[in-house]
This record gives sequence, structure tokens and C-alpha cells, in this order.
Amino acid sequence: MGAILKPRTLPRLRAAPSRSRPRSRPRSRGSPRHGRSVSPPGPRAGTGRAGPGPGPAGPRERGAGRAAPAAAAGCGARRAGPGAGRFAPSVPPSLAHRPFSSAVVARAAGDGGGSSSEVQWCFLQVKGAIDEDVAEADIISTVEFNYTGDLLATGDKGGRVVIFQREQETKSRPLSRGEYNVYSTFQSHEPEFDYLKSLEIEEKINKIRWLPQQNAAHFLLSTNDKTIKLWKISERDKRAEGYNLKDEDGRLREPFRVTELRVPTLKPMDLMVEASPRRTFANAHTYHINSISVNSDYATYLSADDLRINLWHLEVTNRSFNIVDIKPANMEELTEVITAAEFHPHHCNVFVYSSSKGTIRLCDMRSAALCDQHSKFFEEPEDPSSRSFFSEIISSISDVKFSHSGRYMMTRDYLSVKVWDINMENRPVETYQVHEYLRSKLCSLYENDCIFDKFECCWNGSDSTIMTGSYNNFFRTFERNMPRDTTLEASRESSKPRAILKPRKVCTTGKRKKDEITVDSLDFNKKILHTAWHPMENIIAVAATNNLYLFQEKVN
Amino acid sequence: MLGRGLKRKLSDYEESMAGLSSAFDSSRGLPYPLKRQLVLNMCLTKLQTYKMLVEPNLHRSVLIANTVRQIQEEMRQESNQQPLPSGVGQQESHCCDLRSVEDPIENSLLIVSDDDMSSAISSILKDLDFVEDISPPTCLVPTGDDQPKFPENTGLKLEDDRQDLKGAECVFGSFEISNSTSYLKDLAIDDIFEDIDTSMYDSDFCCPPLMPPRSPSLATEEPLKTFPSCNSSSANNIQICRTDLSELDHIMEILVGS
Repeated sequence: MGAILKPRTLPRLRAAPSRSRPRSRPRSRGSPRHGRSVSPPGPRAGTGRAGPGPGPAGPRERGAGRAAPAAAAGCGARRAGPGAGRFAPSVPPSLAHRPFSSAVVARAAGDGGGSSSEVQWCFLQVKGAIDEDVAEADIISTVEFNYTGDLLATGDKGGRVVIFQREQETKSRPLSRGEYNVYSTFQSHEPEFDYLKSLEIEEKINKIRWLPQQNAAHFLLSTNDKTIKLWKISERDKRAEGYNLKDEDGRLREPFRVTELRVPTLKPMDLMVEASPRRTFANAHTYHINSISVNSDYATYLSADDLRINLWHLEVTNRSFNIVDIKPANMEELTEVITAAEFHPHHCNVFVYSSSKGTIRLCDMRSAALCDQHSKFFEEPEDPSSRSFFSEIISSISDVKFSHSGRYMMTRDYLSVKVWDINMENRPVETYQVHEYLRSKLCSLYENDCIFDKFECCWNGSDSTIMTGSYNNFFRTFERNMPRDTTLEASRESSKPRAILKPRKVCTTGKRKKDEITVDSLDFNKKILHTAWHPMENIIAVAATNNLYLFQEKVN
Repeated sequence: MLGRGLKRKLSDYEESMAGLSSAFDSSRGLPYPLKRQLVLNMCLTKLQTYKMLVEPNLHRSVLIANTVRQIQEEMRQESNQQPLPSGVGQQESHCCDLRSVEDPIENSLLIVSDDDMSSAISSILKDLDFVEDISPPTCLVPTGDDQPKFPENTGLKLEDDRQDLKGAECVFGSFEISNSTSYLKDLAIDDIFEDIDTSMYDSDFCCPPLMPPRSPSLATEEPLKTFPSCNSSSANNIQICRTDLSELDHIMEILVGS
């Protein structure tokens, strides 16, 4: 066999020196919270604890299947303690203008009235067609709120991006406060054909990531399997009138007819929202892109495919830096692929990536140009009692997300969600079983390929609650400090305005109670893979195949 | 009808697979080796299906290949410990008594397919590598003029990979690729035009043989449709077929009268 020229033999430049603290730009991901401790506001922050059990200290066990970790008494102190001072609170200008911002956060954390009250969700809106026959192209493949939560972007398998904007509170239409309506729709990616390999490149939008707003226009990155695009969404509400060489209807005037010159004036017009592609970052990925993540310096971003991670500068499209490459010299030795990657929300030199073997690696770009050596390696030792043929497959991590504080990260594998403290590598601090009742069905799920479904997970604005999807259009929220979990369903039946969502329950024992649903009657074609939580309020967006459901916290 | 018959067969197969996997899930009664064999069969079927897909999913293939390897390793360990009493040193067995009866037969079958499996896995991964990484390495040093490097790198890589394939073709196991380029051999070009008398045109080769419209795709398809076509013997076939195709086109031109 001939020697294959490895691209790594060429020296690489490191990324531009990064700033440890960003300039004052609208960082509306709730900076005031950084000054606080990680635990949510409320009477619990002190010594009094309303919840049952040993409290948030120590790793938490929910459900069977994992070895019970030893409670660490020091954890409680760690949560409220030194971590708080690490991130200097810098109030961004946009939040400073919102007088009720801190009140919103407090309300979001639990109705303001006490730690033990549960968030009740009620239906807000649903977007999408009602037909039973779902067109493949309409299936939503990604959902993302922007930094203020005023815009919500969705991407679908047909390569389209639809952006919804939240209606402002107006006196004339008080009931439509908080409703999201279509702001812009555009075709982000077209299906391509790679002639060299005779392969069709899917136009499905894998991820959308917003950039923080710096001027009147909005910017987002959207990616399919191979190409990332930077889109600018701008509003136009004025039009120039009074040209000298053009008539009002656009016809050219004869020059000799122009008797006097005038200056064109700007006249208002109907609002038009335009989306234009500003940059195309192409030809850097051989394998399928699974993640993009904007850095906290807002000048660079990373894109990850199955075997490599590249670092880009937003202004430069013809060059990217390869920072992780796990491709073995001999492909026969390949046993692990990259499944997700994300930058740390505050340290612009730190990022993590997860693998198909259930491990997470944290890398520091300052240590080397090529971050093949990790700085931290997170892996939970396997519980030998729950070992099965499918153990490795279900341990594959499908999503990794840092908390807003940057202190924790959350990983989603097939059956559970785990919260890790980035200072502790040997096991997660919390584990939540999403649908443990599927453990006994793994063979059937393997046979119909459901075991490869990639569920995402998300944090709420205060990092007190996490949410992820399941089957049968169920999605689950886990309140970390209670601990309390809820199962809800996104369905047309509960789609009446302001209707409160009733918690659902899956029957795991033989006796089925009323309103419970048995495991065998779950619809595995109705899967909720993509969810998003408003960065500051309790509004959630849940993608159920081709429909987008919006739920809001019940407001009295 | 053939179509209907095929469909029925597939759905039967699917039903039987579904039945087996639900039996796997719900049972305590299914003996461990049988469960393992079932999982193994499913894995290999999936790998085979993925191979036939236009675009193989690397993530899934790696996961399934790892599962197969794990099962293989387990079987190999068991077959190594076969002469020992079944209770000793078996961590993973759940029903030792049943196994000792079924093992001799199963293990002999499994040992036979061991090499096939490892070669199948390696061929699949190599296949994925080749299909995916044929584009030139795009992570370049930002120095000077990158443009001239591109064709050079591509050429090198293609050549290396072709050599790789020849090596890989030797380890290619029992998996057949159903959509191979055997159409070149299957297509008996001469037979189709047997009855056309081309004797008066045989000497008339003043006009150069036209490039058959299929040959550009041949050049790209050839490395992609991997192993059978890369044999040294079939390379000659390709040469012969190419001449045939150019002659065929020449004849077609004359027939059409253009």
C-alpha cells in the first residue's frame, strides 16, 4: 500500500490571540447571572432547603442502571462558592435597557412565589401543516433562539430557514403578546451533487447558530453536511424616491428631458425583510458536519464533522484551521467518531467535543495548534451490571451543551442526560433517565434504527432546568435542584390557546392506570429530537417532525 | 410477478426479524449464544445494507462495526477457553449449561466466519475512507500560492488509493457488492450487434474513434465501484471493453448517418 500524504505534515498556525474578556457588545445571554452562584435564585440559595432528599449536593441518581456514586459533602459548598466570582458581571447595553430583566429571570425560575412551585406550561402556538402526510422536506431539523429570544430560527430537511419574530407587547393587541410570527423565510442550502464522488449532498440544515447582534441587521450561521453559510437578515422600511434619471415607475428618462436636478429623498415603505448570504465557508469538510459553535470572541467559530474540527474566522472563507483530527492513518483502526462540539461560553480558548464512545474531551487551544491532546477527559466508568450488546451504541453522545454559566456541561446519550462539572472528570454530577423503559426494548430499537436517533438537549436561562425530547412526541424537563421531572406531549389535541399541558406518564409496570400509556403503544415515528429554550424567559420551542410547538409558562 | 414475490419475501424477512428482536427483548428463555448470534446477524445485515447505500453513514457504521468486533472478541475468547470447564473464567455467559451443548457446533461455524467478519469490517471501513476522503486535503498552510498544489495532491492521493484498493481487494471477504461495475463484463456488446454487417467499414478507421460518452464516467466510477474492477485481469477486460465501446460508437454514428 502506498503512503498516503497526511495533511498534518504541514505546519499549522494557531488561531488569532484571543481576548479573555469580550468587548462590550450585546451579550444578551443573561450576563447578570454570571455574578450569581450557579444555583437558581430563591430562598433555597441559603441554608434553608424546601426540597426533599439530601439536596443538590453530590451527584444525583435517578433510575436504575448506573452505579450509585458516593455523595460528596463538599459539592454543596462548591456550588454556591468560589465559582460565582469567576465571571465578572458585565451588563450588556441591550439588557440594561430592559428594566424588567432581572424580574423576568426571577419569575422564570419558578413563579416567583417559592421554590417548590412547579412551572406549568401552556400552549402558545403551533407552526406547520396539519396534514397526516408529511413531506420529507418539511421535517424540522434544527431550532435555535437568538441571544435575546426575540427571534427563533428553524431549519428543515429541504434546506430552508424560517425565522419567527416575537411580537412586541402592544396595547392594541394585548393577547398577542409573546406570539411568534414569521419574520423571514429563505432557502439557505440547495441540494448539491458531488460529481467526483457521484454523491448527492443533502441540503438538510444540520445546525443554525446566531451571532450576537451588533447593528440593525441579524446574522446567523447555517450549515448542511458540507457547507456553512453566514446569512444577514436585514429590514428595509425606506425607499429612495426622486431619482433624476429614472421615473417613478422605473423607466429611464431621456437626459435632455431633465430640466432640473433634485436630491432623492427617503420615503417609508412596507417593511421588507431580506436575507442575503454574506459568506460561504465551503470545501473544508470531508465528512458530515454535525456541529457549529460560535466562539465567545464573536470573531471565530468551529465546525465539527465525524473526524475533524476546524476553526474559522468569520471574515475569512478561503481558509480554516484544523484543530482536531482523530482520523487514524489506517481507517481500519477507526473505532470512534466525533459527535458534537461546542465552545465554552466565556473562555474563548476552550472547547469540548463528544464522541461515539460516550467520552467528552475538553481542549485548550493555547496548549497546541493541533488539539489532539485533550486537557480534560470526561468518562463515566461503565456499570458492569447493565452491560449488553448495545451498551456502546447507547453510550454514544448525541449532544453536548455548556450551561450558561460555563461551569457545567450537559451530554445526551440514548437513554439519559448527564450533567458534568467541568472540574470533575471521572463521573457526572447528575444523571437523569429520560426513558429508561426503553432499555428492555433495545434490540427492537436497534432493528428499526431508532437506537441511532440523535436527541438534543438544552438548558433554561438560569441553568436550573434541562429539557430533552423522547418518542411519541413526548419531551421531558428536569429541574435540577428539586429534583423534579415532567413529561409533556406536543400534540394537536392539547393545542388550544392557553391550554395547560397535562403531564404524561408512561406505564412501566403491568398495571396501566388511566391516562397512562404503555411502552408498546408508543409511536416511535413521532420523535422530538430538537428543542430550544428562550434564553431568559420560560418559553420553549419543540420541533415535532414538521410542526413547531411553542409553549409558555402559565402566567396568572 | 417477480416484483410482488420479492416484496413479499422482504416483508416476511422483516417480520421474522421483528419477531426475533422482540423475542430477544422480552425473553429470558432465549439462550445467550443465540441472542448473540441474532445481534451479530442484524449487525452484519445492517453493514451490508449500508454498503449498498449511496452515502454510507460513518457514525453508524463505526458503531455497528464496534459491536461486531466486540461480539467477535467474545466468541474468540470463548472458543479459546472451550477445552476448559464451562464455569471457569466465563464472565459474560448467563446460561452456562446450555452453552456447553451448543458451543461445539456454533463455535465451529463462528470460527469459520471470523476471518470473513474482520475482513468485511476492514473492507467496509476502507471503502468508507476511500469514498469520503477522495477530495484533496483542504486544510492548508496559508503560505503563498496554494493553487498549484491541488492537482498534485489529488493525483497523488488517487494513485495511492488505487494501490490501497488493490491491497484491500485481497482482504475482501465474503461480502458481495451488488452494484459492482460488472456491467462491463456482463454487457456482451458484440452480441447485440452480431447481425449487423460491418465488413465494409472495418478498414475505415480514418476518423479517430470517438470518445464514448460513458468513458468520463468510467474514469470516475472505476475507483469508486471498488474491488472487482481493480483486478489485474479485469483491467484487461476494461481495455477490451473500451475499444469495443469506441467501435460501437463509430458504428452507431454510421447507422445514424450523422
